Amino acid sequence: MLLALRPLLALLLATATAAVPAQPGGAAAAAPSVSAASAASAVGAPAPEPAASAAAEAASDPVSSAAQRIYEQMRPRLLQVRTLLKTQDSQSSVGSGFLVSAEGHLITNYHVVSQFALQPQRSRLVYATIDGQQGALQLLAFDVVHDLALLKAVDPAPLAGRGVVAFRPEAEPLPRGARIFSLGNPLDVGFAVTEGSYNGPVERSFLRTLFFGGSLSPGMSGGPALDDSGRLVGVNVATRRDGEQVSFLVPAAPAQALLERGRKAKAIETPVYPEVARQLLRHEAELTDRFVAQPWRPAGHARYAVPVPQETFLRCWGQGSPQAARGLQFERSDCEMDSRVFVSGSLLTGYLTVRHEAYDGNKLGPLRFNQRYSASFQNEFIGTSNRQLTAPRCLEQTLDRAGLPLRAVVCLRAYKKLEGLHELSVLVATLDGSQVGVQGRFDAHGVSFASAQRLTKHYLDGFAWTAPKTASR
Amino acid sequence: MDRPEDRIALIEVLERDGRVGRSVDVHRWPVTLGRALANLVVLDDPHVAAQHATLAPDATGVLRLTVGPSGNGVHVGRLRLAAGQSLALAEGSVLQLGGVRLRLRLKHDSLAPERPLATAFGGAIARRMALLAMLLLALVGVEHGVGLDPGADVTAWLPLLVSLPMALVGWCGAWALASKLFQHRFDFWGHMAILLPWLLALQVLDLVLPQLAASGGWRWLWLATKPVSAVLAALMLRAHLAHVLPGHQRALAYATAALVLTSGSVAAALNLRSHGQLFTAPYMSTLPLPVLRWSNPVPTQDLVDAMSGLREPLREQVREAQADEAEESDAAE
Repeated sequence: MLLALRPLLALLLATATAAVPAQPGGAAAAAPSVSAASAASAVGAPAPEPAASAAAEAASDPVSSAAQRIYEQMRPRLLQVRTLLKTQDSQSSVGSGFLVSAEGHLITNYHVVSQFALQPQRSRLVYATIDGQQGALQLLAFDVVHDLALLKAVDPAPLAGRGVVAFRPEAEPLPRGARIFSLGNPLDVGFAVTEGSYNGPVERSFLRTLFFGGSLSPGMSGGPALDDSGRLVGVNVATRRDGEQVSFLVPAAPAQALLERGRKAKAIETPVYPEVARQLLRHEAELTDRFVAQPWRPAGHARYAVPVPQETFLRCWGQGSPQAARGLQFERSDCEMDSRVFVSGSLLTGYLTVRHEAYDGNKLGPLRFNQRYSASFQNEFIGTSNRQLTAPRCLEQTLDRAGLPLRAVVCLRAYKKLEGLHELSVLVATLDGSQVGVQGRFDAHGVSFASAQRLTKHYLDGFAWTAPKTASR
Repeated sequence: MDRPEDRIALIEVLERDGRVGRSVDVHRWPVTLGRALANLVVLDDPHVAAQHATLAPDATGVLRLTVGPSGNGVHVGRLRLAAGQSLALAEGSVLQLGGVRLRLRLKHDSLAPERPLATAFGGAIARRMALLAMLLLALVGVEHGVGLDPGADVTAWLPLLVSLPMALVGWCGAWALASKLFQHRFDFWGHMAILLPWLLALQVLDLVLPQLAASGGWRWLWLATKPVSAVLAALMLRAHLAHVLPGHQRALAYATAALVLTSGSVAAALNLRSHGQLFTAPYMSTLPLPVLRWSNPVPTQDLVDAMSGLREPLREQVREAQADEAEESDAAE
């Protein structure tokens, strides 16, 4: 059992791959802000005032002057978006947003307002401007795949005359290394501008995401990232906690499209699960089409062809057992997608993972190999019924894949609230070798039933002999 | 009373454990039984009447029991006789008067043959047990050895060599204590003789069934391994208990059946709740040895086509979940 776990842990420690959405849960945001305040008072400085004026004095630097200019220009258009419980005024989550129309439309991240979108009967949305204006917001439209939401002030009057954030046209690509400015309200401490560099789109990402070489903190989600003339380059969305200044932006284009699409929409007042499911189904259809169209890469195994995906939108990490090991020798490859779709705090979906382990037991003998090979096949978690998903339904069969005998298990779980979406797990083990074998696992999160069947077929067909069955060991 | 040659019958007063407490010689009929001192056999038990019963042969010479003026009556085997009733007694009848049990032995009753001493340890029994123990050790040893990498340190075998004998001794010792309590003998080897074959059967089952299921591709057989082992373990417990309480075979059989049924249905209900099916394992995880693979492989498309059969059950599960959710939110409002 430990055999498969150990390499996984090492992998996670070396490169925790999940991008963490920069949304503060209520408690998560409160803790850092409290500690920051106490740290400031411990030093004995009459905290923020002198620091702010010192920064203003240092403004003779040309770079900082740009930041100062952007901040002054954008100040009126920046908002904090708060989710409050219906029955009380305490905020349960906060994020940032910015005005994009004179009628009071503003853009933020879907994950900033997901709590309201999924349970509108239990919470409400309000904005707060830098100059202390507050007012109620309504949700008009959202793009769950790109993590964007379009909101509008119920009463646009207090927001009139503040100007709007313009979109930088896609026809004018920004050069790598260009200075950009991200604005927002980190950890509810206060509105801030952070400078960083534009590093182009994230590589091997299925969804177009921009790599921002600067710091983003929870609470800045949904804030604008602007070029030096104040036009929108992207929307703050996430940061990597295992790196330094590795942050991500949603490009401006889908935000602009969302505004066009949702400008005249009616306010959303019922849970958005059906619309989320519709958008996810469109996303998974495109993902499946593109994935199935790609041929598998060779895994470099002498005996078997093993399905390893192209690294166009998956990233693979490999690992092997130490050479001197007396026991079972193995090599594994873990491939997963960076792009995941945030639906709620407990549900990320819309991605694929592909994994395999190649085992060599020539130091073990057939009995010992079989025992470890079976134990490894057993050591796979399929999941049980929970709030999001049904219990798994599985099929298993011994397959003949062009002469290669395979044991295959297919398990499906259905999303309870996102109708038509499923989680697929396919486990495969080769059965021909008495001291050699390959086990693979394919997972698809958030796919339609038809896609699950297509992906299963595609994955199973990735297994075969590398050469005619002569080299029997 | 000291005239054994004139004895025509013997009345034995039995203790709780079935052993004879005292015995009363009978030289003539009728024999009266009761708490009063006028009786031939005086029974000091508050649940016994003054003149509780009388034993005397009838006109045909058959010995009859007649119940006197007693509220509790007399139990003969499973039969209860009320005051005034009478019954012809068979050979070796056991009577219960109040809380006292009596066994009646007549002069011409046939005797059971001499039983060999159970404590006699040696000869065939010892050889059989030694053989079983060796087999068990070999099987467990093979299993342990397969789990170790080749060239493993000798100390890796210590847990097996120490813990297996310790466990056997501990188990049989505990049962022998129970025997001591109920049977007045510390029957360690008697329990070992029960344990070894059952343990061997369990071990063989555990080794053979999953491999057999994997070889044939029989999921149901693989799933059956655990329940079958559990039933065998329950039967083993019954065998130990029967050795401790030989007089309660029927009650033990019922208790074992009840244990198996209740634990089985509780486990099934819990699994159904959390996994939506009777068994926790979502799939058969034992893989067959290549030389022992008999199942007939099918083309990959067959499995993909069979997935269509999952669509409706999953939809049903979603509908159920949504109904539950609606119920919950109704209750909340």
